[in-house]
Amino acid sequence: MHTELMNLYYKAEENYLSNVDIKVFRHHIESLQQRLSTYEFLRDHEIEIFQPVADALQKKYPTENPQTLEQVLRQAIALLRYAAMAMLLNNPEFLQHRLLEWLTEVVNAHQTQTLWSSCHELLSARLQEMLTAAEQDLILPLLDHAQATLVGLPAVVSVHA
Amino acid sequence: MISVADLVKDPIIPGNYYAADAYVQGDFETGLIENRKGARLIALPDILLQAIYAGLDQEVGQACGVVLFNCGRWWGKNFYRRFVEEVSEYYRRPLAEMEMVEFLQCLKECWKTHGWGTIDLDVSFYQQGFLVVKTWDSPFAAAAPKNTGQPQCAAEAGILESFFSQLTGRNLHCVQTACETLGATNNLFVLGLRERVEPAKAWLQEGQDHDTIMERLCRTQAA
Repeated sequence: MHTELMNLYYKAEENYLSNVDIKVFRHHIESLQQRLSTYEFLRDHEIEIFQPVADALQKKYPTENPQTLEQVLRQAIALLRYAAMAMLLNNPEFLQHRLLEWLTEVVNAHQTQTLWSSCHELLSARLQEMLTAAEQDLILPLLDHAQATLVGLPAVVSVHA
Repeated sequence: MISVADLVKDPIIPGNYYAADAYVQGDFETGLIENRKGARLIALPDILLQAIYAGLDQEVGQACGVVLFNCGRWWGKNFYRRFVEEVSEYYRRPLAEMEMVEFLQCLKECWKTHGWGTIDLDVSFYQQGFLVVKTWDSPFAAAAPKNTGQPQCAAEAGILESFFSQLTGRNLHCVQTACETLGATNNLFVLGLRERVEPAKAWLQEGQDHDTIMERLCRTQAA
């Protein structure tokens, strides 16, 4: 359950919600609808999103071991799945705990940060082509945050719940 | 040509199995906590840990460390079995086929999620036949009596000895060489074949620090 909605339920324990609260409630419901449709889109277009990314990555690193590229792509696919769920739940911590805490050291040990940076750029560009501006606003900050965590840079984007 | 369709053929791409919010499940009504596979977990309150140290000290005195060490060994035996079972099932690969970094990440996350502090491995003495394990923020050290002159994380030492003996298939021994209860920033444990790490105990009694002990162990090993 979304924390914002839970808070409203608690607030409504003894009286009707105020107009402001109703507005907030409506905002969250609308936002949830938008999140759900973005989630569905990402889920249904996984291959369509990633195939051009894979092709471009291979073109950019023609001498790189294909297994390493596949590994980075598989990790990127996992990242988008977890990021999509974090977006749906409106909970960036989900992405942090369920994937990034585990993946960061794996990427570090494999020394694939450069590949990751390229993959991130290609994926972001691909999503910008496929998603509306509002949808991009929901998912891209999570990916940017993940990228900063994975390559060990201080986060340039802050993600608000 | 990489085919993404092939990459996503397997519908599950695993993440962090030991993520605390997914791994530890609680039920307020029954007051039970269990892991994501439904196995029961127990929570040890600080006061109970403190009482275990105090009680053992009263009952068995200096043998307290030995008792806790043996408890740890037993605990570690089961811990290893569960760890292997859970990790190989979730990542759908036997532990032996996992990459070292993945195994290590799992162990680190597992240790943290169980509330045993943070763990890291130092493999720089691998060639000399030693493995150094570092832990910090240990709840065992936090509950143990301070400044006794001896390391106090005997239960962890037992867990590590048992865990790594089963992992490597060799009969390893574990000696703690630095302890948070003695003012160190980390707890350090040296693992190796019994006859090779045993001398560390005497040097520890002499009051030598971890670096000196490691240097001497490696020197003895080279001689």
